[in-house]
Amino acid sequence: MLKVLLFFLCTSVVFASNETPTIQTLEKQIQELQKEIKTLQKGHQSLHKQTQDNYNELYDFTESVETKVLEDKMKFSLGLKFGDDFIDKTYADGTHIHSNNMLTTKFMLGLHADITQNLKFHGRLSMYKYWGSSLTHPYSYYDNMQGRVPSNSALYVERAYIDYFFFQDTSLPMALTIGRQPSTDGPSHQFKENLTRKATYSALLYDGVADGAVLTCNLSKLFHYNKTYLRFGYSKGFGYVNSDTYVGNAYIGASNDDIKDTNVYGIFFDTTLANMPNSLIQISYSQMKDIIANPLDTNYTNNKNIGDMQLFGAMLEVTNFQEKNIDFFIHYGYNKSDPNTQTYQDPNGNNLDLLGDGTEAKSGYAYWIGGRYGFGEKAHYKIGYEYNHGSKNWVSLTQGSYDLYNKLSTRGDTSEVYGMYVANRYLNFRLGYINIKYDYTGSGWFIGEGRKPTGQDLEKLQAVYLKMNMAY
Amino acid sequence: MKNNYFFILLFVFTAMLHAHSSKGAMLAKELKLDAASKAIIQWERVFRSQHKKKRYHIDTLSTEDQQILKEYLIDHAIDSDHPMIAGA
Repeated sequence: MLKVLLFFLCTSVVFASNETPTIQTLEKQIQELQKEIKTLQKGHQSLHKQTQDNYNELYDFTESVETKVLEDKMKFSLGLKFGDDFIDKTYADGTHIHSNNMLTTKFMLGLHADITQNLKFHGRLSMYKYWGSSLTHPYSYYDNMQGRVPSNSALYVERAYIDYFFFQDTSLPMALTIGRQPSTDGPSHQFKENLTRKATYSALLYDGVADGAVLTCNLSKLFHYNKTYLRFGYSKGFGYVNSDTYVGNAYIGASNDDIKDTNVYGIFFDTTLANMPNSLIQISYSQMKDIIANPLDTNYTNNKNIGDMQLFGAMLEVTNFQEKNIDFFIHYGYNKSDPNTQTYQDPNGNNLDLLGDGTEAKSGYAYWIGGRYGFGEKAHYKIGYEYNHGSKNWVSLTQGSYDLYNKLSTRGDTSEVYGMYVANRYLNFRLGYINIKYDYTGSGWFIGEGRKPTGQDLEKLQAVYLKMNMAY
Repeated sequence: MKNNYFFILLFVFTAMLHAHSSKGAMLAKELKLDAASKAIIQWERVFRSQHKKKRYHIDTLSTEDQQILKEYLIDHAIDSDHPMIAGA
């Protein structure tokens, strides 16, 4: 380009001088220009080749990185929780028992795979144990509690499910979720753990491992309203498999026609408050059919289906309200039994049925409210308070709660206050105090009637705890 | 009676709320930035470089808004802590 300009400059000077150049001079100048053009062309070709080489090299490198990424079919995440609880239990007869320095570790290995654009896999393997204890929790292998109660160092499959998305281009996209469901540590437990929402269902109603299938209808497009979903769920609360019937290499079928599986059917509606995408409203209704008296008792002469139960719930939670680092929630649950008059004899010789002796339907309710406030630079310090109350006949599906006390099953009142230090986005420490007052016995149990605590019944529980929670 | 307390509390909570959307999300939407298109470390890199901020028009925002946007993008980055919900 510079040469071309020089040419025009020279010719301008020549013409400006009013001197007529000779043919030879012009030819010479043309030859020189042709030489220059050839040189430029060579340079250009060389540059093009060099660029091409660089591009190819970069492409090969990028593709090798892409290959590596595509090769990594599974992504892993890590969770580690430590706890130290100092517990004081008071019984109705006035006796106290202290359980100090109850150290626990929970290890979680998260698995995730984007198999295709519309097929995703999620899994979680969990171990939860007391420090230095060889004790195996008697219910640790109960399906609903696997990996959820402190026991030995066995690694349980807490979650393993696929999400298959379909009708994505229509106004009603849907998804099918099959497998071991995300039904533990649900809303609003995430505030205390300083995590995002970790399960589908309100933790006041459901907190336990569950095998099932869920159809999710995404109504957001249809109603032009964000995060609005309708879910239909099915889960098996108890599956009867009898060791008498051995076929091939598996126990198949049941030889006792009197025992039915416990099936759970539910419908759940999720949405948000207007222009508040950080909120969650959930309304749910579910029905448990043919509840088994004791899922672990294989004496099916005594163990029986004792009836059905309905469970209704409503909740609202708001995260980071108006960007003020304020989070709060409110949950409500209601249960109603429909016993079938069959009774189960417990080890003490008592004949028990669903929430009583099986002669009448009973109902209970519970609510759970709480909030958290973050302060300091980047809200690294947080304080929180939670309160829950359950009535005499309150029972739900929280038997697999990570919480040592399953506080949301309490038939009475529970208060919990905590302070948290967020060391970084992956690690936090929490110091807290929990106070549980049991108005009635049988918290968390479907069988038998709750009564006022007497004698060696637990009446009050207090605990100071220190927790460390790491999630990466 | 305790049931009544619950509904009073529910009413009070609901009454407290009014329309307010996340400012970070709004800023991201305005600048057509998708938080999930990058990892945390990549967004941090964007905010460290004047050149990259200019490329994404982040430099047009006030320092305070840049900080809000940065927090939002990092909180929703592809490798951030994500919710686990069936079918969503």
